[in-house]
This record gives sequence, C-alpha cells and structure tokens, in this order.
Amino acid sequence: MITKPLPEFAVAGVDAVLMSFGDQLSSTLPIYLTSLRQVILQELEGIVEEIVPAYTSLLVYYDARVIRLYDLELALEKIAATITWPVELNTNVPVLEVPVCYGGHFGPDLERVAEQSGLNTEEVVQLHQQGNYIVAALGFAPGFAYLSGLNEKLITPRLDTPRKKVVAGSLGIAGAQTAVYPTSGPGGWNIIGRAVMTWFNPKAAEMNAMTPVQVGDRVRFVSVPEADYLALYAAMQGDRS
Amino acid sequence: MTGLLVIKPGIHATIQDQGRFGYQHLGVTPGGPGDAMSANWANRLLDNLPTCSVLEITAGGTELECQTQTMVAVTGGDLNLTVNGRPQVPWRSFWVKPGDTLKFGYPRYGFRAYLAVQGGFDVPHVLGSCATVTRNALGGLHGDGSRLKPQDFIPCKALKNEGVARQIPELYLPDLDSTLTLDVIPGYQQHDFSSASWQTFWDSEYELSAESDSMGARLNGVALDTPKGNLLSEAVCYGAIQVPGDGQPIILLQQRQTLGGYPKLGSVLPLSGYALAQRPPGSKIRFRPMGLATAQQQMRRYLRFFGL
Repeated sequence: MITKPLPEFAVAGVDAVLMSFGDQLSSTLPIYLTSLRQVILQELEGIVEEIVPAYTSLLVYYDARVIRLYDLELALEKIAATITWPVELNTNVPVLEVPVCYGGHFGPDLERVAEQSGLNTEEVVQLHQQGNYIVAALGFAPGFAYLSGLNEKLITPRLDTPRKKVVAGSLGIAGAQTAVYPTSGPGGWNIIGRAVMTWFNPKAAEMNAMTPVQVGDRVRFVSVPEADYLALYAAMQGDRS
Repeated sequence: MTGLLVIKPGIHATIQDQGRFGYQHLGVTPGGPGDAMSANWANRLLDNLPTCSVLEITAGGTELECQTQTMVAVTGGDLNLTVNGRPQVPWRSFWVKPGDTLKFGYPRYGFRAYLAVQGGFDVPHVLGSCATVTRNALGGLHGDGSRLKPQDFIPCKALKNEGVARQIPELYLPDLDSTLTLDVIPGYQQHDFSSASWQTFWDSEYELSAESDSMGARLNGVALDTPKGNLLSEAVCYGAIQVPGDGQPIILLQQRQTLGGYPKLGSVLPLSGYALAQRPPGSKIRFRPMGLATAQQQMRRYLRFFGL
C-alpha cells in the first residue's frame, strides 16, 4: 500500500503556493486531492481564494494581506493531516461513455501509434476502447480531462512539431495520457479519432455540472461508425442551439 | 440605447475586466487586461468601481463613434488618439458627445491603450466576468469570446452633465519606453536549475518575440540549461517563467493555460508583468531577483491604492 503522502511547499508567485505530494501517480491521489481541496476552501475561506489541482499537487492562491506564507503552510499541513488516507476507491463512481469514430480522416496519427506499438490499427482501437480511464486532472483548456489508465503498449511520444490547429473533439494520445480536445486549438498530441461530447458548458446552473466529469470519475470510449458519429454530432449541435 | 459604435476594430480590441476567478480548476483561464494597472487607472479617473469593464486596444487602428454623451478616460500606451481629428494627450478623462469620433492611431509609446466610460460598459457576464478570452470562447460583447468587429455596438450610459476632466500627474505615469527589468520571485523548480543557468538568466538580455500573446510572452536570447527528467503537469500562476526544452523562457500571462508541464524558475512580480504588456515585440528584457516579502509589500500597496 502506498503510504500517506506528505505535502511539500514551494513558492509559486506573489500570492500562490504550490503544495506538492511527490511525483508518484496513483489512482487514489486525485481523489485525496479533491477532498483536501474542498476542506481547505471551507476552512480557510477568506484567506484562500482559489485552488487549482493537478496530478499530484494543489496550487493554492491566497490573500497575502491577511496571512503570512509560513502561517498558511502550517494551516494547510494541519488540514492535510485530517484527511483520511488511504482513500477508499469508490467503485460506484459514474462512468462516462464517450462515442468515438476512430481512424480515417478523424485519426491522422492512428498509423503512427500503431507503428510504434507494433500492432495493427484495429488492435490499437481495440486496446484503446478496452481501457478503463480515470480523470486524473482537469485543465489546460475548459473541460480538458487528462485521463490516466492508457494501455502501456499505446504510449506514444508527442508529435515533434505541434499542429497549428487540432479540431474540437479530437481524441489524442501524449505519452501515457489520453484525452479529447474540448475546443479547437494548437496541439501536439497524436490524434487517433473524433469523439462526440460537450466537455464544457458555462451555462450550467451549478459549477459541478459544467463539466460532464470530475476528477476521479471514470471514462470509457465506445467505437462508432462514421455514420453514427455524424448523427450524434448533429444531435449535439442541435442541443446547444 | 446609447453607447459606442465600432467603425473600425483595429488590430485587436477587446472588452476586459479584472478577470474570471474561481474556475481555474475546470481549465478556465482568468483572462483580463494585459496591463491591469493602466486599466485600473482608467476606471480610477472616472471614480468607477475597479470591477467596471474597459476596452483594451492593442497596437491601435481602432475607430469608435460616440452615440452617447459621457465622460471617458484613456490610459496606457500612447496610440496617437484623436477626437474629431484633434490630437489628445492620454492619461486623462474628457467629455464626449454624440457624433464624436475617437480614432486610435499606431503606438507612439507603449502597446495597449485602455478606454473606460463612466459606469462601465453594459455587457454580459459569463462565469462572473466579461473578460474576453477568444481561446476559451468566453466573455466579450456577445459572451462568446469574440473580439470587436465593425458595426459592433457597445452599450453604456448617457450622462446629463459634463463631469470634471482629470489628468494623472506626470510623476505617476509609468515609463513605457526604456529597457525593462522584470522583478522575479524565485520559486517552483528553482532548485532544479543549475547555478550556471541562474547566472545566465540574471546576466543576459532577452528580446520579446513576435510570437508572444496574452497567454505568454516568449523571449529569445541565450538558451538556459533545463533540468532533466519529466515533470508532471502542475498549475501555473500569473507570471510563471517556464523554460521548455529549447531553453528560451516563456512568461505566462493573464490568459495562460491553467496547467503546464515545463520546469519553472519562479514568477515575475505582477507589476512587472503589466509593464511587459506595454512592450512591443523586439523590446529588450532583463531580470533581477526580488524577495517574496518585498514583492508582497509592493502588491499590497498597489491593491490598496486601487481599492482591490
């Protein structure tokens, strides 16, 4: 069993401190960080303004006018000690099924992934689809969910030269991570398909409903033929307008 | 309805306010004005709340027609503003009437001008802010992150009576022209960089690249040795100085991505970041260290002055 990680602190900026919990990825750490984040926001209301979680760290923005960094670190350490460890992996977490049209013109890098893994493209699709992914972090762009749990055979380095434009919905692989680009933009991930999902909805009434997944949730990809993809895509566009 | 009509949007004109806070954990960047200090001064000249929206005019070329009468204030870089063809001195407030034409030329000094109207613009808020972030499709006049386009109409109030024109004393005007030395608070992976790397960083002069934008200021200069090993992505704060594999530092600004995977030397003082936003590409940049306590003291003074 992994022992309870202890926080280490580093100055990030004039009003932000980085609280790191080592460099070991684990399936339980993101869930621990989520509860820790909630408790800090409650207990240090008025002092801590915003907390941004990542794989193994929290970036804590604070009001430097009301607390000194040293006192803040003590307070954070104290709270971290109260959060239960090990975190019980909730087996009832919601599983989000994401329809994907793999390969073809939607997945220009599927061949590249296949080549480096020594598999054929069908096997790559098969392995990717079988994956039981966990949302390890949300960030980079609104609703961008970094997923862990990629089959080791599919680990593929980023493109040497990033693309100027990756279309929204593109499903990519970068190293051991896989994710869907929620909006169009530049990117260097290996694109293997196109997914249908609204990853960010700023009009949702509650913050938790703005993204279809939270850190710790599970995601599965379901391969669909192009015709189904187009129908689903049209339905999604219809919902938005 | 009264307001300002956009005749020509110019190179890049957007609506901004203090930014979008509390949503970074979902991947939403704060955004806001590049030179927040000048934007705050524009509101201050009109006794506006600091949360009022302003127009950010980057590199000039913007032409607006008044369809209201109100007090406006223009601060930031001098973009050769004329009103009905008459040149205007920036960093002051003045009265405009329906039919007046405000025309921003190209920079004389500085890079971005800020225009505020009394009471702010009446624009929609998305996630608590109207700050335009095109990449996130959030904020702005239509709430969808689009920048200003010809024939856009920006609503604002009409005033009955002309207010008192004010000007900021020269003593307070920032120097937007000389070589900029940025104050750096060492942090993040500071100990992973070699001392030779740090020495190079302090001793070298960098040039602001034309590829810079509101996400990050890219610098060109002597390459820094970067620490070996893979860093897991972590959240990045305003001003964070990340050093990718090519050794050329990037200073992350108000529209930064929320997570980043490159090693970081620390962060620049926000006040330095605001000054940086006024430098056009090709400007010379240097760095000097600043302790956290001094940095916090300077920010405290700034925040108190503007009532933030």
